[in-house]
Amino acid sequence: MSDIFPKWTNRLPAMVFTGVLLLGGAVTAGVWYYFTPKYTRVGYQPVQPVGFSHAIHVDQLGMDCRYCHNGVEKSWYSNVPAASTCMNCHNQVLAQDPKLELVRQSYATGEPIPWVQIHKTPDYVYFNHAVHVNRGVSCVHCHGEIHKMEEVYHAKPLSMGFCLDCHRNPAEYLRDPKDVYDLAWAPEDPAAHKAAMLRAVHDWKINSSQNCSACHR
Amino acid sequence: MSKTIPPACPEPDHGVRHWRGLDELSGSPAFKELADREFPAGASELTDASTRRDFVKLMGASLAFAGIGLTGCRRPEEKIYPFGRQPEGYIHGVPQFYATAMPTRSGAVPLLVKQQDGRPVKVEGNDAVPGAGGGTDLHAQASILELYDPDRAQRHMRGGNAVSRAAAEDFLVQLGREAAAGRGAGVAFLTNRSSSPSRARLKALLQERLPEAKWYAHEPVDFDVHRAAASAATGAAVRPLFKFEAARAVLSLDFDLLGTEEESHRHARGFAQTRKLTSPHDPMGRLYVVEPLLSVTGANADHRLRVAPGQVLAVAAAIARAVLPEGEVKTALAALPAPAGVDAKWISECAADLVAQRGKAFVVAGHRQPPTVHLIAHALNAALDAFGGPVALVESPAPGDGGIDELARDLNAGAVRTLVILHANPVLDAPADLDWPQAQRKAPTVVRLGYYEDETAETATWHLAAAHYLESWGDARLGDGTLVPVQPLIEPLFGGFTELEVLARIAGEPSAKPYDVARATFFGALGKTDEDAWARFLHDGFLQDSAAKPVAGKLDEAAIAQALAGAPQPAAPSKDALEFVFHRDAKIDDGRHVNNTWLQELPDPITKLVWDNAILISRRTAVELDLENAELADVEVNGRKLTAPVWIVPGMADHTLALSLGYGRQKPGRAACFNGTCAGFNAYPARVSTALHHAAGVKASGTGAKYTLVTTQSHWAMNGRPIVREANLAQFRAKPDFARNFDLDAHFGHVANDPATGLPKRLYPTAFEQHPEKQRSDVHQWGMAVDLSACHGCGACVIACQSENNIPVVGKDQVLRGREMHWLRIDRYFTGFAGQDRDLLRADEDLWRESWIDDPQVVNQPMMCQHCEKAPCESVCPVNATVHDEEGLNIMAYNRCVGTRYCSNNCAWKVRRFNFFDYNKRPINYADTRAGMRGELYKGPFAKRDAAELELVKMAKNPEVTVRMRGVMEKCTFCTQRLEAAQSARKVAAGASGDVRVREGAVQTACQQACPAEAIVFGNLLDPQSRVSRLKQQSRNYEVLGFLDNRARVTYLAKIRNPNPKMPDFREHPLSVNDYTTLNHSDPFAAHDAHGGPGHGAAPEAAAEPEGAH
Repeated sequence: MSDIFPKWTNRLPAMVFTGVLLLGGAVTAGVWYYFTPKYTRVGYQPVQPVGFSHAIHVDQLGMDCRYCHNGVEKSWYSNVPAASTCMNCHNQVLAQDPKLELVRQSYATGEPIPWVQIHKTPDYVYFNHAVHVNRGVSCVHCHGEIHKMEEVYHAKPLSMGFCLDCHRNPAEYLRDPKDVYDLAWAPEDPAAHKAAMLRAVHDWKINSSQNCSACHR
Repeated sequence: MSKTIPPACPEPDHGVRHWRGLDELSGSPAFKELADREFPAGASELTDASTRRDFVKLMGASLAFAGIGLTGCRRPEEKIYPFGRQPEGYIHGVPQFYATAMPTRSGAVPLLVKQQDGRPVKVEGNDAVPGAGGGTDLHAQASILELYDPDRAQRHMRGGNAVSRAAAEDFLVQLGREAAAGRGAGVAFLTNRSSSPSRARLKALLQERLPEAKWYAHEPVDFDVHRAAASAATGAAVRPLFKFEAARAVLSLDFDLLGTEEESHRHARGFAQTRKLTSPHDPMGRLYVVEPLLSVTGANADHRLRVAPGQVLAVAAAIARAVLPEGEVKTALAALPAPAGVDAKWISECAADLVAQRGKAFVVAGHRQPPTVHLIAHALNAALDAFGGPVALVESPAPGDGGIDELARDLNAGAVRTLVILHANPVLDAPADLDWPQAQRKAPTVVRLGYYEDETAETATWHLAAAHYLESWGDARLGDGTLVPVQPLIEPLFGGFTELEVLARIAGEPSAKPYDVARATFFGALGKTDEDAWARFLHDGFLQDSAAKPVAGKLDEAAIAQALAGAPQPAAPSKDALEFVFHRDAKIDDGRHVNNTWLQELPDPITKLVWDNAILISRRTAVELDLENAELADVEVNGRKLTAPVWIVPGMADHTLALSLGYGRQKPGRAACFNGTCAGFNAYPARVSTALHHAAGVKASGTGAKYTLVTTQSHWAMNGRPIVREANLAQFRAKPDFARNFDLDAHFGHVANDPATGLPKRLYPTAFEQHPEKQRSDVHQWGMAVDLSACHGCGACVIACQSENNIPVVGKDQVLRGREMHWLRIDRYFTGFAGQDRDLLRADEDLWRESWIDDPQVVNQPMMCQHCEKAPCESVCPVNATVHDEEGLNIMAYNRCVGTRYCSNNCAWKVRRFNFFDYNKRPINYADTRAGMRGELYKGPFAKRDAAELELVKMAKNPEVTVRMRGVMEKCTFCTQRLEAAQSARKVAAGASGDVRVREGAVQTACQQACPAEAIVFGNLLDPQSRVSRLKQQSRNYEVLGFLDNRARVTYLAKIRNPNPKMPDFREHPLSVNDYTTLNHSDPFAAHDAHGGPGHGAAPEAAAEPEGAH
């Protein structure tokens, strides 16, 4: 019989096999890296209708988070403030500034300002702010260094793995509830603080549940 | 912010800005020049091979940076819309509760309604109101769905064209002015019944301004007979108030206290208090029931006498003859015949028991019974010293309205020019002999205020859309007279009118706002204008000390004797002269709830039928008339023909047929009727004013054709399995731990036990037991106990669960396939076949031929996920979607579920429900079962529900609970959202402390909160003082299918019956025990030793042939 196939086809199965393995590996690696919240979400910084700067209001002026986000201590939902809250100061400060035109209009007409949502968990996740901020989890752990942001960006992945990192090891991320809103706070003695928080997890019965029902219902 | 599905994904116009370098960002001129050139400098001279490669690399990278790459993969942009001005005291995400009340015909159900995201989502009872108790009935629980019913009237109409609200308002004012000019001549008002003092005040005002206007009231199911009879019996204007908690013996003459009589939520609570036992030596009440249909009350009776409806009078008279002292009434009673086919001993012993409990016994007659029966009942109450004790009489003036027959007469005489109808629907439900539609046409102007565009709306000149009570200001009086507010939780969704506004505008009141009307009434009742009192009234939900003063009742013997003398005495029915009962449906009332899909899909408490009604018939009568189950029968009632399927009901009186009212309507919406297929059969066309409740001389014959009736439970018997365990009181006292002596549970004392738990040692430890420190919380361990002595099977818990957990409705066709989605179901078993030769392999559907069903006993059992510690469902899920949490709950992670359904396969209680279709987004032809007309479900995404309708229907959903999609398994979660909310609230309050245990009573599951009898108790098992812990320690406590040793967290307290040993139908044990001992050759009440001694292998005790009346 003459050669039906050229000689190089002897190597074809091995090449296809290796190629598929390599391609599969590449695709897997690609998805692993590029399709995770850590890549897709972190850095998201949409343009907001009003150029509100946390850096000015929190870091420079020293406003407490709860002045605007007044529901965070009582509700699962941490609210974006109503225009009336802004106008408490801005009816005098920068009262005619064009950058605040939307705020004044919203206050006058009741028409809401269409803020672009940055931090959002999927619909099947039920996150409760109140129980976290009242038990020692500061805003910065999930929202990053908000007090330094001129424009808010998504600083942490907020993936399930990110939540579990803390839920599996809460002492790392806790502080005394009275320091929760002090965003620049850092422990003077990290080792002593860690030890104190380990004690707190026991004393305060911190049960950062890892069961599905904690977030998924 | 509610968890909604994001809208379709547009490319964001404010995208993330990407830049190739700082130059672009800064917009430097150098960069601009670079960008303007077609190619970067140097690229035009591509002579070097390596330069060419570099150029391609650069261009490729630039392309990626230009944002063509991954911006499309980002989730769609969503907006947050805060307020312009923050409302005071509003925290988004925290629900608010408002006290209101659901008005009923003669009273109201006081409620606390939960409002979330600006709309009401859940109805709860208001337990702060004294005397009402805090329970709700199933109509109150289901009423919230009607608020969001897409078929409700959404516009005001004039002659078929929609008009603006302003136009309607002007018209009403104009109507009032014209009427006033003529002093109200030719004006007639037809209203429903209401206890609202504001409406009464406006009516009085109108009667003053329009003295010649006439007022009529019409309710197809009217409870006013209770007031009328009590007033006639005592000669004073009074109404009876029944206190079942104060009675040790009650005789019900067709009074369905737990079901279709009003105030069932209050009666159920009172009655349950006499049935629940904490120890074997607690006293217990006793209930005797005389009735034609098997009602929920009859199902829970200790002794039940089934007689044809016309014979109840004879039974009442016989008992009265045995109880009453000598006098005018007793003499008049002598003329009444003895009841046909009733054992005289039943009568005499029942009477003796009532007399023995004098002061704590009473007799009550049902609304369908003629006034003579009520008069006899009151005579008995007087003789038993019940007045002022369990029967209170409160002042209640007669409403003074004419009846609908008088209005029809006036209409036919041409005396009515303007007819104003408030809420009534006479075109549907006026007695058929009045020929109402043609009578109504005689009035040139008909103005109707109605919630649906229904039969009457079609024929009205003006139709005004009514506001739901959850959108209305108003008030009501409870049964005992306490004033309660009706407070809105949302602005009227479609600009509906309340009846107060309509009347106020017609009266020409300066302020027609119902808020002002209700306030004025309140300050009038208070006697002064006190804003603080008004605020407190709205906050508490009732006015302190506003209950009506009780009146001492003195029997007017002469009046009663006279009424009895002229009373018609119906003959006993026979095969050719049957009796027919038009009864109020347990779910849809007189038809007002026919478009409420929750109520339509709730299985009827006795028949377990859904989406239909049927002619109820007894086995014997069906055999005599040669009728098969579900066969269409032609019935001739009052000279009119009815064709409807028959349904054989155990315990039904012989020669009696019954059809519930309100079904078979072409209107008002798609749940009632879709494309010509209607739910059920209309009884109204056969109902005439001389025989509104009972008709005699009825003939019936089969047609040979069958109709598909859908029932959720066609198996009636427990087949010898001790699923519901019960005992008579005497046996319970003799052997308090009988409930643990059934089945393999009885052996638990004889095998090697784990000393820690006292339960058998397992071969394989559960996850709980393997790693207790990690897997088992030491703060909460949740559990539930259901007291079967208290549960009467009304179904309020089922509707509450459906409301709280966004459980979808699937329609008749899917229920036919067993796909109903109720997480909690009430299993209803008929017991009593012991002594009969029963082939256990025969289909349960054939049980309707067996003679034991003539006089069965009935047991009810709410069944939900048992939250087993060793759950059979958890170990078989291939994707670990159902796991156990550290507090004892078996939880579902819907997003993991792939729909294998292995978990449901493995569940021994079959409490898991699977979403076979997307029941929320597809339009469903609810009432349709025809093959090939499966509706839109099977079309999947190609069948869309109207967007506006979907928006309205979505509002009924609870935002704290996921709405499940097709392909996902769901089941009872012990209301995990409530547990989370309660635990979070406690932790927030605890802050930097360890006080994180939820307080007893701070969290209730939806079913627990709704139950009027408080049969379901949920709580923390780690707290030995919690109610649930104490209940589980009772000797009556047992686990269903406990032999599987799954350590269910839901346990049941065995039912205790309290029969009278002297009664002829007395048996030593409930029938289910006889069934059990016959089939298992084992007696749970005998002493048991480890080696097959007495109790095992002994010959089954021959059950005494029940000495029935038949």
